[in-house]
Amino acid sequence: MSSEVELSSIEVKAAPTAPARWWAAVDRAMVWGGDRLNPILVKETRQALKSRQFVITFALLLLCGWVWSILGVAMIGPDIWYGAQGADMFFGYYAILAFPLTVIVPFGAFRSLAGEQEDRTYELMSITGLGPRQIIRGKLGSAVLQMLIYLSAISPCLAFTYMLRGIDAPTILFILLYLSLGSLALSVIGLLAGTLTSEKHWQVVLSVVLIAGLFYAFGMSFLLAGVTLAELHGVFLQPEFWQANAAFLTGYAGYFALLFYAAAAQLSFTSDNRSTRLRITMVVQHVLLTGWMAWLWIWPAQGEEELPFVFLMFLGIHWWVMGALMTGESPELSPRVKRQLPQSFLGRVFLTWLNPGPGTGYMLAVSGMLAGLVTVGMALMLVKWIALWSPQNWRFNTAGTTLPFGILGFSYATFYLGLGLLVIRLLRRFTHVGILLAALVQVLVLLLGCGVPMIIYMLSTYWYDADYSLLQITNPFWSLMHVVDRSALPPEGYVLLAIVPLAALLVFVLNLGGIVREVRNVRIAKPRRVAEEDAELAAVKVPPEPVKKSPWD
Amino acid sequence: MIDTRPMIELRHLHRYFGNTRAVDDVSFAVHRGQVFGYIGPNGAGKTTSMRILASLDLPTAGDATIDGFSVVNDPDRVRHRLGFMPDYYGTYSNVNVYEYLDFFARAYQLRGSRRVDAVDRVMDFTGLDVLADKPTDGLSKGMKQRLCLGRALIHDPAVLVLDEPAAGLDPRARIEVRQMIRSLADNGKTILISSHILTELAEICDVVGIIERGKLLAMGSVEAIQQQAQEKAASGAGISNAVEVRVLGGAKALGQWLAEQPEVSQLQVNGEAVRFLHAGNLEAEADLLRAMIEAGFRVVAFGSKRQTLEDVFMQVTQGLVQ
Repeated sequence: MSSEVELSSIEVKAAPTAPARWWAAVDRAMVWGGDRLNPILVKETRQALKSRQFVITFALLLLCGWVWSILGVAMIGPDIWYGAQGADMFFGYYAILAFPLTVIVPFGAFRSLAGEQEDRTYELMSITGLGPRQIIRGKLGSAVLQMLIYLSAISPCLAFTYMLRGIDAPTILFILLYLSLGSLALSVIGLLAGTLTSEKHWQVVLSVVLIAGLFYAFGMSFLLAGVTLAELHGVFLQPEFWQANAAFLTGYAGYFALLFYAAAAQLSFTSDNRSTRLRITMVVQHVLLTGWMAWLWIWPAQGEEELPFVFLMFLGIHWWVMGALMTGESPELSPRVKRQLPQSFLGRVFLTWLNPGPGTGYMLAVSGMLAGLVTVGMALMLVKWIALWSPQNWRFNTAGTTLPFGILGFSYATFYLGLGLLVIRLLRRFTHVGILLAALVQVLVLLLGCGVPMIIYMLSTYWYDADYSLLQITNPFWSLMHVVDRSALPPEGYVLLAIVPLAALLVFVLNLGGIVREVRNVRIAKPRRVAEEDAELAAVKVPPEPVKKSPWD
Repeated sequence: MIDTRPMIELRHLHRYFGNTRAVDDVSFAVHRGQVFGYIGPNGAGKTTSMRILASLDLPTAGDATIDGFSVVNDPDRVRHRLGFMPDYYGTYSNVNVYEYLDFFARAYQLRGSRRVDAVDRVMDFTGLDVLADKPTDGLSKGMKQRLCLGRALIHDPAVLVLDEPAAGLDPRARIEVRQMIRSLADNGKTILISSHILTELAEICDVVGIIERGKLLAMGSVEAIQQQAQEKAASGAGISNAVEVRVLGGAKALGQWLAEQPEVSQLQVNGEAVRFLHAGNLEAEADLLRAMIEAGFRVVAFGSKRQTLEDVFMQVTQGLVQ
């Protein structure tokens, strides 16, 4: 009797069924995945789901989609049965979707970061284990999530347009892909803007500028979508279309990375290395541009003579802009950065220019432009040699003004960046010069070089309507146009080629002292406490000695 | 082996904002398990020093270390060891108490059960477990202070820097916060705390530093600082102790007698009581009492008021604002 009672009191647990085990495994995987999600993404998703702004935007999106569906179908009328009106309907849905994606999501990203700075929650976040790149990734992740929600909300409408005929699925996907990429790029720009200042009045100014820019981007996206819908028929089968897209997307990836790292650098602690990742990205962009231009020149364009000009021009602008920003970096390296300096001979020769500092930045920009010039020079020599052996369809123009244009462009950029750097060094004796002020100085120096001879022209009765003269030697734009505007080098071109490179060399030599001072920085040892902890951590990671279990072990 | 490395150390710390010297050559060290009270008037440089320790600001010169790591050069290592509670709340809208603490636990890279345990432990310690679902921006001041303390504790740091943790709280909440801090210190945390409520600091601090116009004026245990002030008084630096004497009859005569004594000032006769300031140490006070009795006064009470931390603070600082 007693044994029966005891038995009845024992709870018998049934073995979990297969679906239960499966669900438990899914649950564990979800917990594991959730743990590894960016904390900011988790927090902002929780916030967004409760926020009024998201609910209103989402509701408006659905409402507009619904209204446009009814209105569009009413306007199409009986044509809906036999016409091909999908493209027109799609355009309406596109407008409804493009507004939140090009205006609301990027502005939300800006406000999210700017708001954290205003409420000082950013400070609390920054002293956790979250790095600046994690913070930017989290904010971007949140923007992507919003984009996906808006896209999914409008997707039934987009499927409806496909069923109406007149637009194919690849076109819909292509336009949505580019709209999403545009939204992502605008979001990273918004985040970068959010890092620029924590002062309220500047944030208001930035908000206004950003809103204006985003509305402009919305208008442009509208225009581009219209053009794409009109012109995109049949291009998906052409290889050139995909090549052009691949080129665009690599360029997009390069500039996206640059903006991303710039935003992360803005959030980095002052003693951190804010520059090296950006410089590596610049070099990668240089290599990508060179690669695509070389491919374009050799294959589809078959030696088109304008391409080297375009290449040199793009590269010159790229390195001048990057150089103007790099010359604003502080010449002092923190001990934290010095701990990571390259120390091998090859490392010091090739990687020193990736270290933070205005001198190394100037050198990197000059080296980049010189590399582009040498690449063009070598390519021209190579094709001249090829043309001797296989002259059939190739129309390479190796003579003319390509190289003089390149040499002059390189010299002008070296001269102006160097001159700007000298002015910045002078200013630094009296005040703190940050990156934005330094870039402003660089622009002003260039504008002075262009503006002074132009003013003299305008004030003089002799020169008022005159063509180019050597008085414009400090104006790089007119001088370069004058050189490139004709098949052979004009008489002033020889003078320019004699003077401008010399002036560039002089300015470069004047900057050498500052560059050498930065190059002299050498790696320093870790502080004792850091070395101690690294040793402790390394000891934890080392696997224990294997225990012998048999004589053969 | 005894660990002699200070958990918090400021070495010749300077921080200038233009011509203002917010922190001017401040050096001190706090050892493991100590509670350091940082006292000073508004604008003295307390918050600036604390922000530098929390790696939110950079010193103009000098350095500060947490557990031997420089806040300038190794902020990432410092941040894992430090919990900072600033003088503002930093709450988010549309986030409840649990989500708020969970976010910071995630931000400190706590995963899985460690994160869940950390949030539960902190909510339990701060008494916020009953408010887990309440939005953070709807909490009362006291609850927000608890939430901020919880946030600073979420990754179980060895060092806590608390800037005015009891500011604006009612007496009960202040006592509760004080108890929490004492309990944290008893558990081996090293704490740097600033407060305007000096009596509270005197109760919970092992060491006190008085700062004014960016300069550290005095430092040591509360008793040592009081002793220093007494010695300063004895050396005739113009700082006095309040003494009250009660006599049976002859209070006026005692007043006249005292007026002739050196080191006595600000005499007040009130009935049988005579109050005055005495610029001398305890021995001098004892001599004065003996002389009083020998002069025939029937002394029934002689009280020398022991200086409180507030008295010391008032004596050491001059109330100058930058």
